[in-house]
Amino acid sequence: MARLLLIEDDAETAGDVLDDLRGRGHDVAWAATGPDGARAARDGAWGAIIVDRMLPGQDGLCVLQDLRRDGDRTPALVLSALGDVDERIRGLRAGGDDYLAKPFALGELAARIEALLRRPVDSRETVLHVGGLEVDLIAGTGRRGARDLELLPRELKLLEYLMRRPGQIVTRAMLFEEVWNYRFTPKSNLIDVHVGRLRRKLEAGGEAPLLHSVRGIGFTLEPDG
Amino acid sequence: MVEFPRSTALRWALGIALWSVLLSLATFAFVYWQTAAYLREELAETLRLEVRTAAAEPAAAAVRVDTWIAMDLHATHYGGLFGPDGTRRAGNLGLVPDHLVRDGDAYRVSATVDIAGRTLADETWAASLALPDGSTVVIAHDTDEIDRVRATTLRALGLALVPTLVLSGIGGLLLTSRARRRLAATEAAMAQVMRGDLRKRLPVGNHGDAFDRLSGNVNRMLEEIEHLMGEVRSVGDAVAHDLRTPLTRLRARLERSRSQARTVAEFHEAIDQGLMWIDQTLAMVTAVLRIGEMEDGRRRGGFTRVDLGDVASVAVEFFAPLAEEKDIHLDVSVSSADHTIDGDRDLCFEALSNLLDNALKFTPSGGVVRVGVTRAAAAAILSVEDTGPGLPPAEHAQVFHRFYRAEAARRTPGNGLGLSLVAAIAKLHGAAATVRATAAGGCRFELTFPLPEPG
Repeated sequence: MARLLLIEDDAETAGDVLDDLRGRGHDVAWAATGPDGARAARDGAWGAIIVDRMLPGQDGLCVLQDLRRDGDRTPALVLSALGDVDERIRGLRAGGDDYLAKPFALGELAARIEALLRRPVDSRETVLHVGGLEVDLIAGTGRRGARDLELLPRELKLLEYLMRRPGQIVTRAMLFEEVWNYRFTPKSNLIDVHVGRLRRKLEAGGEAPLLHSVRGIGFTLEPDG
Repeated sequence: MVEFPRSTALRWALGIALWSVLLSLATFAFVYWQTAAYLREELAETLRLEVRTAAAEPAAAAVRVDTWIAMDLHATHYGGLFGPDGTRRAGNLGLVPDHLVRDGDAYRVSATVDIAGRTLADETWAASLALPDGSTVVIAHDTDEIDRVRATTLRALGLALVPTLVLSGIGGLLLTSRARRRLAATEAAMAQVMRGDLRKRLPVGNHGDAFDRLSGNVNRMLEEIEHLMGEVRSVGDAVAHDLRTPLTRLRARLERSRSQARTVAEFHEAIDQGLMWIDQTLAMVTAVLRIGEMEDGRRRGGFTRVDLGDVASVAVEFFAPLAEEKDIHLDVSVSSADHTIDGDRDLCFEALSNLLDNALKFTPSGGVVRVGVTRAAAAAILSVEDTGPGLPPAEHAQVFHRFYRAEAARRTPGNGLGLSLVAAIAKLHGAAATVRATAAGGCRFELTFPLPEPG
């Protein structure tokens, strides 16, 4: 599907990530040190780069900064063992497009990579269509077929996020970050409860399921799944 | 070569002895100087008086001189009346002493004296005056007496130095050896502490002196260290204990599935269950690490202006479905004032959601959970109040401790880290985290954030 570059010094982690992403159909190359990674990043045309924060030879953030300084805009996801907010901010400032703290679920990484690969979404569109679903963001209304949906503002935002990424898996953490605009891992299964409510509204007329749960990872909005 | 004494005690003793010797020398010098001056002045005054009396009545001067000489039994009074040509008319002085100024004042001069038919040279104190007819009257006194007194005084003082030196040396030794004994006891106790026995304390005497105060302070420090060590140990124990439970379950589950699962679906189920337990343990480890990180006080880099009113509204909206499920009335009231603080919005949200999570967990169906954002003089206050069973006052201080779980919470899921995370977040923001009972018997948690510096 896409050519990905993984810059990660820990062979074990790299092996798992490589297997997982290859299993999802990506073509993934691996570099184990900062300088190797920097060279590989310059040599190839990559769909996205995954770079670890701590690397032998050169810090992952420096590799990324150098790339950005040379005008390379390849989407990049920063991995780090330090789950601290300061670290995330530093990662994003250095030119990272997303950030993931170790230990992470492989599904989470894959979902975030897919999201990076599909960027940019055309965000000027204000009337969205997926299957028989239509949402008017300006009017704040939604319809499934002929049936009007009564959506709360937050549900509208949730639906917008999903409809801009049809068929793509989004994780709970991604939803919380993008829809609620806060970043940490909520303890309770509240995201599921919110998604569940939205799903009930979408399927209240006995229509076919549209919003699916992906076991262990998150959710996807898939017409006629 | 003499090796300088190494022992502090000996050095101290020497120092003290030397100091007291110096001190007594100074005293002695003063006493000596005063005594000598007094004796000399006394004699000079007598001589001046006598010579003036003799000169006052020139006719009786010879008689006066003889009376002066006769007053003395030890032959220490000298005198003489000399004609203008220097011939003696009365008295026992051979000649007018050389260098004697005739102004009536007393001077120390050499003189020749006729005593018992012999002529002697002697040191004298003498005063003389000229008479109207040109003759000279001299009144003198032997210096031996004063010299003797001075010598005696000096000897006495010199002799007294020896016992002073000895006594002060002994005193110094006693003092320092006492100090050394106390120091030795303290050192022994410290050695024991350094070997790892943190329960050992330094001996504190009942003198209330600097030494005792120092030992007392060190003891308080040791108590704090012991307390901290205990906390670290109990946190370590709690982490280990809480990790062991899910890991044990995981192990059992994997073992059972390996031998019993037959279908792929059964294997998947076992693995999903295992992943869940692993996530649970990871969440706990992450929480412990984050608390540590926040207690370190790093992480302020992400601070921006945060409107607590916004945080509260979004959090309440986020938790609304959970409250509805449990049939709890959840509401939020934000006062009209400005509730902007300097902070990390993600962490503020996390703190509030931990408080909300707790409140919703312990409040029974039909109860009420209220989130409030208000302003005090110099603070913005975020509060969460519930109608749950409340906490006994004794537990109020402990709920923010790591791994502390109230009696009522033992049977509910959770790792006992939620409120310590709240406390750590509060501390990072310079906010106070408190809990108290409400009139209705529930709990009221309050986070009191300082307002940002203006500008």
